[in-house]
Amino acid sequence: MREAQEITPKNKENDKSLKGTFASVLVVAAIIVVMWAGVFLIYMDRV
Amino acid sequence: MAKPLKDIIRDDPKKTLGVTPEDAKISKAYLSVAFITLLVGGLLGLVQGLERAGLLELPAWLNYYQVLTAHGILLILIFTAAFSIGYLYAGFSHTIGGLLPKVRKMAWAGFSLILVGVALVVATILMNEASVLYTFYPPLAASPVFYIGLVFVVLGIWSCALGVFINYHHWRKNHRGEVTPLFAFFTMGVFILWFFGSLGVTIEVLTLIPWSMGWKETINVMVSRTLFWSFGHTLVNVWYIIATSAWYVTIPKIIGGKIFSDKLARVVVIMLVILNIPGGFHHQIIDPGISETVKFLHVFMSVSIAFPSLMTAFAMFAVFERAGRKKGGKGLFGWFTKLPWGDVRFLAPMVAMIAFIPGGAGGLINTSNQMNQVIHNTMWVVGHFHITVGVTAVLTFFGICYWLVPYISKRQLTPQMNKLGIIQTIVWTVGMILMSGSQHMVGLLGDPRRTSYTTYGDHETALGWIPYEYVMAFGATLLLLGIIIQVYAVFNMMFLATKGESEFPIGEVEINAENTPLWTERWSLWIILLLMVVAMAYVVPIVDFVVNAPPGSPPIKTW
Ligand code: HEM
Ligand SMILES: [Cu+2]
Repeated sequence: MREAQEITPKNKENDKSLKGTFASVLVVAAIIVVMWAGVFLIYMDRV
Repeated sequence: MAKPLKDIIRDDPKKTLGVTPEDAKISKAYLSVAFITLLVGGLLGLVQGLERAGLLELPAWLNYYQVLTAHGILLILIFTAAFSIGYLYAGFSHTIGGLLPKVRKMAWAGFSLILVGVALVVATILMNEASVLYTFYPPLAASPVFYIGLVFVVLGIWSCALGVFINYHHWRKNHRGEVTPLFAFFTMGVFILWFFGSLGVTIEVLTLIPWSMGWKETINVMVSRTLFWSFGHTLVNVWYIIATSAWYVTIPKIIGGKIFSDKLARVVVIMLVILNIPGGFHHQIIDPGISETVKFLHVFMSVSIAFPSLMTAFAMFAVFERAGRKKGGKGLFGWFTKLPWGDVRFLAPMVAMIAFIPGGAGGLINTSNQMNQVIHNTMWVVGHFHITVGVTAVLTFFGICYWLVPYISKRQLTPQMNKLGIIQTIVWTVGMILMSGSQHMVGLLGDPRRTSYTTYGDHETALGWIPYEYVMAFGATLLLLGIIIQVYAVFNMMFLATKGESEFPIGEVEINAENTPLWTERWSLWIILLLMVVAMAYVVPIVDFVVNAPPGSPPIKTW
């Protein structure tokens, strides 16, 4: 069931914003890249 | 559109009237087996952690590899399967309005088959007839009884899978033109992947039985390894879909938010079902006899799994951000602090999701062809799967217990129990950071996995590993404490907690969400695509292994 909710235009904008999500996804990407690059450097160091 | 109550009761009486007692019994039985197994398996884990650090010497009648075989099989096969069936059957029953009597019987048949299988497997391990580790790679050969036990376990799982397929089919007939409830959709995805993913390993085990009995002289080792990993790799994503079912379906409700997109969740399930199985060779990256092209194909397929995972990450962040903003969170990350951190039903799966960030990144490292050589067969791998299955999957399972067990037992989650759950989550998190973290690091220094305590004649490299192994042993101790708390919590909520009705949290979609298209339900098409992708990845190498087979191997008992 979808309940109604009263929303003023101003806080509606804040409610719908997904900029934090975007930033979070970038953080995830950064962690992947850093970990990957770290092990890659170990690999290059050992071959 | 909300249906009038009268119609809801007519269509789905059991959904409105709470849990069906007969269905709840099935889930209680499976969850009980799961948590007893967890206790035993966890104890063995601590034994390993202490032994490897040189802090404990095993008695003459029990060797390290018996312990390790039992730990692996009990935890990744039995615990996860028993939990998953208990959880999925409860949610499936809840969302489609109760199980058919015939399906209930199949679930019980599955239960008996699994118990018989576990008994056979554990008995042979205890008798030191099956120290082959959970991968049971030939030419290591166990007693035939061990393999027969495994067949029973698989048959038990298939019985449960078939039950779900039958009940789904029945529901479809009575609900033409409707999409399945999201939870039931996940259940279908899991059991389809589980069923097709276990076909290969079943063929393998059926060839190992006559070989271990001496009826067949030799075995093709490469074919066996390949069939094993077509399953092993798939099992990982079976857990992953199960965990994500809780993230997508229940967490929005628990945190007072909405499902981000019902359709996106289903597309993720479909992608995982179709793309998953052909990634097995990334576990065999340094195996000989597989062409670079085929390895590359499997590596590509396993990396493609990162895509639905990133979609999940995005969708979950969006759910959190919207819920947090609705509660007044401002700015870029203000919403993060507005989440219900004090609610174990949220905290445990949230930590599980966060753990998947390093877990998934580690997986991308493992699957990168050359870099695999840095970590192959080192403790890094052990660290990797304890953070992925041991936190991402298992901590989600733990979190689920705090609403699922009260729901099926008609009891309540008391504030004290919630607090205990928070403590459990913290103990588990710290324990895993220490254990898995030290395993990752010492693995990069070359410490091999699956190796009982040794200093290699006091070689300096090996001596350098010992401090990390102490940290690992300390983490292992915390983890066993965590398991004891969790097992206590589960049985307390099942049999002793205050009576009352508890909710099965099912999230709702946003008000203006688009309707989910019916094409998502075309399981026969998804299965055909799955089979085509499997054929693409496996026909050529398996034919190659058979046609250009090296001499087969007789059974070998190294212990
Ligand atoms: C008390 C908690 C736990 C502790 C202390 C623990 C400890 C360990 C240790 C030290 C090893 C490495 C042994 C070696 O390679 O020599 C290991 C292996 C393993 N653990 Fe755990 N573990 C725990 C929980 C779990 C859980 C919850 C799972 C999965 C659900 C799990 C799955 C595995 C698997 C699959 C292996 C690999 C076995 C093999 O290499 O054959 N563990 N564990
Ligand atoms: Cu894999």
